[in-house]
Amino acid sequence: MTWISKSVTGLGLLFLAHACYSAHEHSALHSTSTAALSSIASHSTTASNVTSLPIDISIETVVAVFVICVGLVLGSPELRPIQWRVWAGKIEREGEKGFMSSDGTVDKDYVGNPFRVLESRPGFIDIRKQRKEFAEWVREGGVAVGAPKS
Amino acid sequence: MLTERQLQISPIVQESVMHNTKTLTTLHNLTASLFGVGAGILGLESYPGFLFYLIFSLITSALVYAFRVRPGFIEESQAQGNSGMGRYFRNSMELWTGGLFEGLSGFVLTWTLFYGLVRA
Repeated sequence: MTWISKSVTGLGLLFLAHACYSAHEHSALHSTSTAALSSIASHSTTASNVTSLPIDISIETVVAVFVICVGLVLGSPELRPIQWRVWAGKIEREGEKGFMSSDGTVDKDYVGNPFRVLESRPGFIDIRKQRKEFAEWVREGGVAVGAPKS
Repeated sequence: MLTERQLQISPIVQESVMHNTKTLTTLHNLTASLFGVGAGILGLESYPGFLFYLIFSLITSALVYAFRVRPGFIEESQAQGNSGMGRYFRNSMELWTGGLFEGLSGFVLTWTLFYGLVRA
């Protein structure tokens, strides 16, 4: 995807540079010819020196702008869903792959699973079992090993 | 617009909103200066120049819709009915007119620059 957008943009820039150069040359030629004509005919035609660009340069400019535009849109990063459920579903389904930027690295603001806190919380403590264990330990004459002797 | 209650029921991810807005703004700034180059080469003056900018900005938005919004929309509609623009933007005007005024200064800048360069 990325090389497509880059090559399209480069092609458009090439067209645009050519159109710019053509327009500049045309205006230079046209102004010198009208200057020569006006010096011959002694008319001041400076007002209408370069109002008419040749149609091929116009078309080339418009096409070049459109092509660069397509290239830039193709090169822009993917949009992200703004609704929480759609966004979280996308993360669940695609993981990091859905948030790659065009050069293959994961975006900096990728946060991972939004429900990570819920998924890693500890389970319930079996308090009865712990109490039973403690009672057995006391019955066996339990003095803690490391506990200070009174 | 969404009410408080609707926001509670279906919350919105602020990071994604910012990311989408930033993407659109960058794109519109870039393309606006590009349109300025085009308008300067064509030698447009006054209203035709701004009309050129308006038309090409709308074309850019349409391209964004076609290449970026539409694929996600198709993916979504297979899953659950209608959503369209609401998947990426809070309302559709954000896409169509959002970048129109941000890029205008860049457009005028390069427009005058290239008009002067070509017509010099």
